[in-house]
Amino acid sequence: MSKKQGGDKVTRYIVIGMVIFIVAVGVIFSFVSSASKAAPYPSIVSKSDGYGVVFNGDLKGVPTVDLWEDFQCPICARFEETNGAYMQKLITEKKAKIVFHLLSFIGPESILAANAAACAADEGKFLQFHSYLYANQSPAENTGKWSTEGLVSAGSQVGLTSDNFKKCVTDGTYGQWVKNVADDGASKNINSTPTVFRDGKALNRDTEYFDPAAFAKAVEG
Amino acid sequence: MKKYQPWVGLVFRLIVGGVLVFAGYLKAFNPSKAKMAVRAYEALPIPVANILGVALPWIEIGAGLLLILGVAVRYTSIFSGALMLLFIVAIGQAWARGLSIDCGCFGGGGQVEAKDTKYVQEIVRDFGLGLMSLYLFRYPTSRFALEREKVAHE
Repeated sequence: MSKKQGGDKVTRYIVIGMVIFIVAVGVIFSFVSSASKAAPYPSIVSKSDGYGVVFNGDLKGVPTVDLWEDFQCPICARFEETNGAYMQKLITEKKAKIVFHLLSFIGPESILAANAAACAADEGKFLQFHSYLYANQSPAENTGKWSTEGLVSAGSQVGLTSDNFKKCVTDGTYGQWVKNVADDGASKNINSTPTVFRDGKALNRDTEYFDPAAFAKAVEG
Repeated sequence: MKKYQPWVGLVFRLIVGGVLVFAGYLKAFNPSKAKMAVRAYEALPIPVANILGVALPWIEIGAGLLLILGVAVRYTSIFSGALMLLFIVAIGQAWARGLSIDCGCFGGGGQVEAKDTKYVQEIVRDFGLGLMSLYLFRYPTSRFALEREKVAHE
């Protein structure tokens, strides 16, 4: 074997070693960063409901509606437009237990928006903020509309003006909680937003999501 | 033809390697979406799909880097060829079973409306990349490879 060829083999192993190192670090980083960890969440959130934001959690004998959604998802905005007022009515009239699961598939601004919604929950204005974000959704994803500044100003539109709220949004206080929700959705095979369950049974996406009468019938039985 | 072979090899290395790195990069930093894309194929148990969703983008980046640099081309190209075959089988089974999903090859993924599926384009693209991989396996020597030609032949 010539000396040159030996040198080339060394190059091969060094390069392969470096590439394997990059892959290993990347995989480990991704696993660690997307895994569930103990983290603070608002008092309205229930860990046993998959870290969801729960309304009427103490009611007995009413159906449970689980809604999996993403603040940047246009179909979720359409769902909110169709059924948002009805869902709020279910909550205020104590006709159902509603669990909001804030997923963040669509990227960084979905994470920031979900965090901000948890901050709004701390101030008792989750539902108002939730409606506002959908009513004012950007037509394109991750364009800066739900940057932390955008979310703080969205909050001020529904009366969220406290320094606590601003700090919570800006600091990403509930960032790890958002990851925990995503991890729970992954383990429950949620592959699309919105996804709606009534008492653990998935509603029919084609017939029951965007027909208010069919949705009400599916929920109230 | 023989004269052009090393240049063809270079072009194929850059295309297949570039697509792999680009596709991996687009998925690597949104693990929850990448997990969802793999789950949507409904071909693996959920925990396995979630692990693959996290690992696959980085494996693509690694294989792509080796192809672009031109190191261990013979092994990397058979690996990328096998990967393309796997993708074609995965997409084909989703199509055959009537699932409506995006392949999630370049980020995205998950369920889409039936009219928005692109199974034909996805399979043709992967088939083309697979053929280029096979060419590199058959003729691993090419221009501007980090590794000298003799070693690549071994």
